[in-house]
Amino acid sequence: MTDASANNSASGKSSLLVQDARTRKRNAVEARFKWYGITAIAIGCVFLILLVTAITFNGSRAFRQTFVTVPVTLDAAAIEAAEASMMKTSQYRKMIEAALLTEVAEANIETDMDAGKLGDMLSSSAPAQMREFVLANPNRIGDTVSFDFLTSSRVDGYLKGRVTRDSLANDKNLDAAHLDLVDQMRDIGMVVKRFNIDFIIGSDASEERPEQAGMGVSILGSLFMMFVVLLLSLPIGVAASIYLEEFAPKSRWTDLIEVNISNLAAVPSIVFGILGVAVFIQIGHLPKSAPLVGGLVLTLMTLPTIIISTRAALKAVPPSIREAALGVGASKMQSVFHHVLPLAMPGILTGTIIGLAQALGETAPLLLIGMVGFIATNYPTGPIDGFLSPNSAMPAQIYEWAKRADPAYYERAWGGIIILLVFLLAMNVIAVILRRRFERRW
Amino acid sequence: MKDIKFSARNVQVYYGTTHAIKDVNVDIADKTVTAFIGPSGCGKSTFLRSLNRMNDTIDICRVEGDILLDGEDIYDKRVDPVQLRAKVGMVFQKPNPFPKSIYDNIAYGPRIHGLAKNKTDLDEIVESSLKRAALWNEVKDRLDAPGTGLSGGQQQRLCIARAVATQPEVLLMDEPCSALDPIATAQVEELIDELRSNFSVVIVTHSMQQAARVSQKTAFFHLGNLVEYGETGQIFTNPVDPRTESYISGRIG
Repeated sequence: MTDASANNSASGKSSLLVQDARTRKRNAVEARFKWYGITAIAIGCVFLILLVTAITFNGSRAFRQTFVTVPVTLDAAAIEAAEASMMKTSQYRKMIEAALLTEVAEANIETDMDAGKLGDMLSSSAPAQMREFVLANPNRIGDTVSFDFLTSSRVDGYLKGRVTRDSLANDKNLDAAHLDLVDQMRDIGMVVKRFNIDFIIGSDASEERPEQAGMGVSILGSLFMMFVVLLLSLPIGVAASIYLEEFAPKSRWTDLIEVNISNLAAVPSIVFGILGVAVFIQIGHLPKSAPLVGGLVLTLMTLPTIIISTRAALKAVPPSIREAALGVGASKMQSVFHHVLPLAMPGILTGTIIGLAQALGETAPLLLIGMVGFIATNYPTGPIDGFLSPNSAMPAQIYEWAKRADPAYYERAWGGIIILLVFLLAMNVIAVILRRRFERRW
Repeated sequence: MKDIKFSARNVQVYYGTTHAIKDVNVDIADKTVTAFIGPSGCGKSTFLRSLNRMNDTIDICRVEGDILLDGEDIYDKRVDPVQLRAKVGMVFQKPNPFPKSIYDNIAYGPRIHGLAKNKTDLDEIVESSLKRAALWNEVKDRLDAPGTGLSGGQQQRLCIARAVATQPEVLLMDEPCSALDPIATAQVEELIDELRSNFSVVIVTHSMQQAARVSQKTAFFHLGNLVEYGETGQIFTNPVDPRTESYISGRIG
């Protein structure tokens, strides 16, 4: 009735060239909705850009480190004395400090500091570095060897703009006078800031030596863990999904299992951590802080993700394919493995890699089972040691650095995030490539 | 009179609490095309699918009564449905080739049933199956091409070739031409007529003309009952039951 009267009121016929009120309103709603969408995406993009910029800006500095080049004469008598003493590295330190003082003097840089004071600008890792070289190359004793020592994090921070003369006023580790020296040494190329591979392949260091800390050992920890996760969660997850989706009779039990799997996916990861401590460490007596245990805990966490995505992928395979296979006399198993599974493969792989990526970035459960950052100081000696000896993982290492007081560690935490993101990005790229590859089979 | 291939006695099919097939008795002859006709939802597809136990895949489906294939009860506990389906092939309503090459589509059945001793054998089976399905000349140069890349009619003939390749004794067809154009339909119908010399063919169809064209025997289903079963000519020209008469003259259905 209302429609008819509305149409009739306008002299009977409406023109297509004029939009009526209803159409205008509808179009306006549509245009508004489009703008909401664009705004939402724009906000998302702004946050993404902010995030990426902040990470690159803060993190990229961690990849460059300041080194000072010091030629040290490896005096046989001094080295013998040092090796015979109780505090071996402190003897080496004296040799380095003396060499540094000579070098500064030779470069015509005036200073009234003594050797010990001057040595404060070096990293406390320098003596160990020299001693390792000597032990590895005993034939070089007697020569003069040019070492690239790390400078202390204060000097490094000065060249990166983090440390200023004002901020050193209350700092007992370094004086403003050191910075004047550093300026001159940098001008003649004795002090340089360059790419530091040890940040990527090195191990964690103590709180006093941020300049020496690296991600290498915890990267290995993460890799060993991911190996465990992949090896366990992919077969278990895929087998469970195939059974639930294709074979299990629909009963109250399978419903219960389904609901529980979906709920497990939403359980906070720290709960899995507690479970790991209780089951794997206290009851199972597996070693604490071991990547094997970490991998087991993360497997529990990843399984629901993999099962849910695998089931979705299996569900998406058209039933006509199953019927076709059964119609030519294939068994249930043959129809699943010959026809359904290959078609579901891209979805399964994507789900698995998303699950793995989630596991790679997981921190909380690892902290509970003892895979804290500061134990990532020793490289595993072999594959078995890699699974069983205490180690950390990338996110736990980043967390450890972020909570240390020294701003130099804060910078390294940002750098660690870049490394973690590179790994995640690589995994996503692999996911895309694998998906493309399997999808090409029509 | 030809030998009896399938013999159904007092067959009931239930979906949960729904009684889909009520007390059906029918004898299906060998080397004959038997058409099942009837309005939508009358149970003809359900009955067809119970002949090779495709209904087993539906959890809530239950079959009672006896269905004998060559005198053996196919619902006997000792019968493996997989073995049964190798004997009783099926072609579905929508063409559903595997997403594999044309060759692999045909070769899949013979492979899993061990029908070919070697590659030459298999090549022969593929060629003869495709020839039987009148598809050989169109695809012989591109056996490696994906089966899903063929046209609808070709795909359906590929599916028929696939069903034929496992050397079944009975071929069940569930509205094989409903997704095809008239030309493809004509080709498939011609094919069905040829297949009759080797197999017993049971075809479900919505098209009465098709039933009249291809079948020798026709069964009319209505609301889960087998209303009338007899020679096709007799069913269409001189039906006994008034419901059959109403349906074929277009008054119900």
